Amino acid sequence: MQANAARPRKEMSQGLLAVFFSAPAVLIIAASILVPFCIAVYLSLHRWNLKRPGREKFIGLENYIDWLGDSDFWEPLQTTFTFAIGSVAVILVVSLLIALLLNEKFPGRGVLRALLLIPWAIPSVVNALLWKWLLNPQYGLVNAVAYELGIITEYQNVLGSMPSVMIWLVIAYSWIHIPLATLLLLSGLQTIPGDIYESAIVDGAGLWQRFAYITFPLLRPMLSIVIIFEMIFALKVFDIIFVLTAGGPADATNVLGWQIYTETFRKLDFGAGSSIAMLLGAITLALAIIFYVFLDRGARPE
Amino acid sequence: MRQHARLRLIVIYVSAAVLMIGTVGPFLWLVSSSFQYERQLLSRPPQWLPNPIVLDSYREIFEGALLGEDSGVPYQSRIFLRSFANSFFVAGSVAAVAVIAGAYAAYPLARLDFRGRSTLLFGILASRLIPGLSLAIPIVLVARQIGMSDRIVTLVFINLSFILPYVIWLLQSYFKTIPMELEDAGRIDGCSRLQVVNRIILPLALPGLTSAAILAFMLSWGEFLFALLLAETPASYTSTVIVSLFATDVDVNYVSIITAGVISVIPPICFALVFQRFIISGLLSGSLKG
Repeated sequence: MQANAARPRKEMSQGLLAVFFSAPAVLIIAASILVPFCIAVYLSLHRWNLKRPGREKFIGLENYIDWLGDSDFWEPLQTTFTFAIGSVAVILVVSLLIALLLNEKFPGRGVLRALLLIPWAIPSVVNALLWKWLLNPQYGLVNAVAYELGIITEYQNVLGSMPSVMIWLVIAYSWIHIPLATLLLLSGLQTIPGDIYESAIVDGAGLWQRFAYITFPLLRPMLSIVIIFEMIFALKVFDIIFVLTAGGPADATNVLGWQIYTETFRKLDFGAGSSIAMLLGAITLALAIIFYVFLDRGARPE
Repeated sequence: MRQHARLRLIVIYVSAAVLMIGTVGPFLWLVSSSFQYERQLLSRPPQWLPNPIVLDSYREIFEGALLGEDSGVPYQSRIFLRSFANSFFVAGSVAAVAVIAGAYAAYPLARLDFRGRSTLLFGILASRLIPGLSLAIPIVLVARQIGMSDRIVTLVFINLSFILPYVIWLLQSYFKTIPMELEDAGRIDGCSRLQVVNRIILPLALPGLTSAAILAFMLSWGEFLFALLLAETPASYTSTVIVSLFATDVDVNYVSIITAGVISVIPPICFALVFQRFIISGLLSGSLKG
């Protein structure tokens, strides 16, 4: 595939060149991902609590076994899934609708697409602060608008109770994740040739039929990519929890990311923290593979 | 048919208006709030537009940075500008190093034929599947032990490793779009591989490199987990850490909190609007092409 025709003088083999060229990047990645990963595995097999120095001890899989028999693992896991499924669903539906809109030709479309980058550009922590202010129980804009429109008769503390806290957490999280999903779906839509639609219209296909028999099947590979990406992101949610709810009220938003953080950096139990983090990693990886195989096979034309 | 076209336009513009409010509304409310007096902010119904425009909270941040404790402004406001500068340093260094190291790593993946090429590419990408939280524990532990925690250089290094895979992926797909003939011409003229990369590939890939640099800057600007865990003293706080401190502190007044939020999104939002073409093409090519 690569042209070897032009080789004016003797030089290193392509393999050696590749090693030299990629060495700096690969070393950086290895030093701060591969090495820590191995240490994390090591820690997860040990009793290792910074509050009790000098008592580190190899205990095999005990940390893992403890977690699997502990509601402190299963309850956050359930919360994580509730959050992740809710977020992926919201992101998918809303971004599909926006992508369908932006795929139409109308004056002002470019401006809208550019404005979409504003939520995308906002760091997750600032986004959390923004929503904390919007949802403020005494002065928040959401309360004010709902009150002025007569939807509520008094201001609500939506972050103080279930299920409203989960609903608003999903909305706040999705708000900055929708733009990227939209751009991906839009680019998928734009690869669908226009004449397919034209001949469908000639054949008398309505709006819904065109969506169900042309748009949806052809968009399916891109939908799979978006689902897998967003699922992986949502399962490890942390930033927004830290600022908006701190796992509360009463553990209602205690996702695995938050559980790992408190276990490790508040209780200083690095062994237990590492093992639950490994469990989260394994779950994420397993789901990514399952989704990939399942969605990819479904998406491939017969 | 004409009625149909009119209906179509009405549906489109109504949805476009809803989308517009949903996209920029929340952010504009934050900006509007930052220009109000605290008591106006706490009025019911809310005051939609600032009247008069109040710059007190912005002035506080600058005064606090200049005068230190004498200014009498809260602690978070005083150190805010410093953290802002830290964020610039981290994001700028990450963008520069990621693009340079990433470009040289991407070239062999795009153009050379060697054993293990697909394994290398897969390995680089798979490293992104490991959740940052599980890496955070050993990284913090090791950084503390070797005296590298609480330094923003460490943060640059950590951010690099998360951003490099993305940059490499983006650049290798960009390099593949550069016609092979241009490279062959250089080789015939006697350029070594390094010269080919430096004199032909990199100049031609300038739009791709720009996209990668901007994305790298924006991703590291917003990074929070490691910035939080590695920072021990205010000297190494980044703006996201300060914002989280503001947001979780009940004693600080609302206007200061909101202003800190607004200032810390000015750089990424300006970037997003100025470089939107680069960003959109970068985002799409990063995840589309194989």
